[in-house]
Amino acid sequence: MVQKLGEKLLADWLSGSHITFKNEKIKKKYSANAKRIIDTIKLKKTDRIPIIPCATQKFAFEYANATYKDAMYDFDKIRTAYIRQYENIDFDAYVGPEFIYPGGMFDALQWKRLKLPGNHLPADRPFQFEEAEYMKADEYDEFLDDPSDWMIRKYLPRLSPKLEPLAGLPSFHNILNYYHGLHDFTFAVADNPGVLDAFKALAKSGKVVSKWYDHLAKFDQEISGNYGIPHLLGGCSHAPYDVICNYFRGWRGAISDLYRQPEKMLKMMDRLLPWMIDYGVSSAQSTGNPICTLYIYKGADSFMSDEQFDTFYWPTLKKLIMALVDEGLMVWVFTQGTYDTRLKYFAEIPSGSCLIHLESGSDIFKANEVLSGKQCIEGNVPNSMLANGTADEVEQYCRKLIAECGPGGGYMMDFSAFLDEARRENIHKMVEVTKHYGQYGLDGRLKQQ
Amino acid sequence: MSELTDLIADLKEQEALKLVEEMLEAGKEPNTILSAARKALDVVGERFEQKYYFIPDLIFSGELMAKVASLVKPKIQTSGNEKETIGKFLIGTVEGDIHDIGKDVVAFLMEMNGFEVKDLGVDVPKSVFVNATIEFEPDIIGISGLLTNVFDDIRDTIKAIDDAGIRKNCKIIIGGGQLDESVRKHTNADSFTTDAGIGVQQCLEWMGEK
Repeated sequence: MVQKLGEKLLADWLSGSHITFKNEKIKKKYSANAKRIIDTIKLKKTDRIPIIPCATQKFAFEYANATYKDAMYDFDKIRTAYIRQYENIDFDAYVGPEFIYPGGMFDALQWKRLKLPGNHLPADRPFQFEEAEYMKADEYDEFLDDPSDWMIRKYLPRLSPKLEPLAGLPSFHNILNYYHGLHDFTFAVADNPGVLDAFKALAKSGKVVSKWYDHLAKFDQEISGNYGIPHLLGGCSHAPYDVICNYFRGWRGAISDLYRQPEKMLKMMDRLLPWMIDYGVSSAQSTGNPICTLYIYKGADSFMSDEQFDTFYWPTLKKLIMALVDEGLMVWVFTQGTYDTRLKYFAEIPSGSCLIHLESGSDIFKANEVLSGKQCIEGNVPNSMLANGTADEVEQYCRKLIAECGPGGGYMMDFSAFLDEARRENIHKMVEVTKHYGQYGLDGRLKQQ
Repeated sequence: MSELTDLIADLKEQEALKLVEEMLEAGKEPNTILSAARKALDVVGERFEQKYYFIPDLIFSGELMAKVASLVKPKIQTSGNEKETIGKFLIGTVEGDIHDIGKDVVAFLMEMNGFEVKDLGVDVPKSVFVNATIEFEPDIIGISGLLTNVFDDIRDTIKAIDDAGIRKNCKIIIGGGQLDESVRKHTNADSFTTDAGIGVQQCLEWMGEK
């Protein structure tokens, strides 16, 4: 039988075959951590509830007195910060600065979709998305007719002044017209020096990306190899409805389309679905990690009606998750906002294939009832409590989570959201409480009640 | 309820706009048309609070209202028929944060509930909050913040309002998905909310106490 991609990645990841471990003890620790995480996702018996960081940002930067701006430009400084964090806090898995994209990648293109720290925003703020109608309401047909052509000649020029000359190229499909199309195309390139400049800007951006890739590639060796902490974050993809809202039409534009041109929206989502599957699979492959993350945004409880969720959000999201699971991947569904009424849908996916992240806005105790024995859940420790609460309050909250969600397995301790402000003693307390009270006996029951 | 009110409240765009055009052609008083449209938004707000409508319905009803207004307003000779307000509400997203939907939903619901609303937009510096408080004299100030690292900015904005000595006549409510009582205490706000509808109820209670 042919081994699925996810199975191969899982075997490699569990063994840490690409890592040179500092010593045998660290290697054993890595294996135990990796097995604990996978067993928990697969709803098997394990030795303890895992404690994972969905992501740390400003909290980590402060280990090297760095700002968000530093994080986007000074790779060595930020790597030092993360290494110090994991040296100090013994999480069961690590997530590095994968979402702190390199500033130079955007600068080279004068990228418009983001507001950047130290430029449009104070240096100690995260970059933030600027949602806008990068695709106009009447452009669905044009997109559907030839998506990649539309992306290159319409979408990219709108996102970057440096790429505006691409709008002057003739349609790519004209090249097919024997020599006529070819000379039109090559003439347009030769006649418009801006096109070459556009590619130079892309190359300049890409050179920064190359350094950034090298920077990220060092983390496995430095954190997994030295501390025995496996990397949690692998591939990534998006729900097709979110892609339309976040990247093409903006949320407001997409909302109008829900009422004015729902059929076209549905067609576009069907067109985007294979792209999103391919993106998830290929990014899993390139990171060598069997866990593929889906950050889901606009499907939250108050963000649409049940009927809209059933029609516009869930069908393509379900197909995407099923396709990733069919590849043998595990899917980390990162819900943002309140998802209480949506959780039951994840019971439709084969049991033990998803890890569902819940923010503090969702009722994790209800989620535990709905998904117990079906999917693993994690998260929920309020970031506000970690920032402003006492270590005692954190202990009480974490013990409650362990007591309610721990029995039977399928639960991991984690923050509610990416960690910025937090008292270090509170994070230490989370780890300590999970490792003490989260232990299972051989019978699969929690040792401490 | 009039037919136009029903059509807008049910978000039937084509039918509603067609009816507005017919009413205008038939010489119907423009202010009566606007008034029926405004009533529809009240219905939309109620349906949202009852969790029958959701954010897309709210946003789309706002778009629909803007289209109705663009058809009707050129025909209005004199202003009038303005809705009476029960209080003044100043709102903005705190400095360093550019999220706007939660703020917009609250602004919409507050207007539906009879407040005169002044919206300062997103990424609002504390000095802008202070100056707007002096000029607009709000009964309530709403500060929105979704990011978890803006708790200190919210605190500093409230402190700036305190320091300017202009807080005594107004209440301050903070709103955002990651807020709770610990953030309220940290920022010294009068109340917090993670739910637009509950926040509006709090503001109505405050106005009742005045």
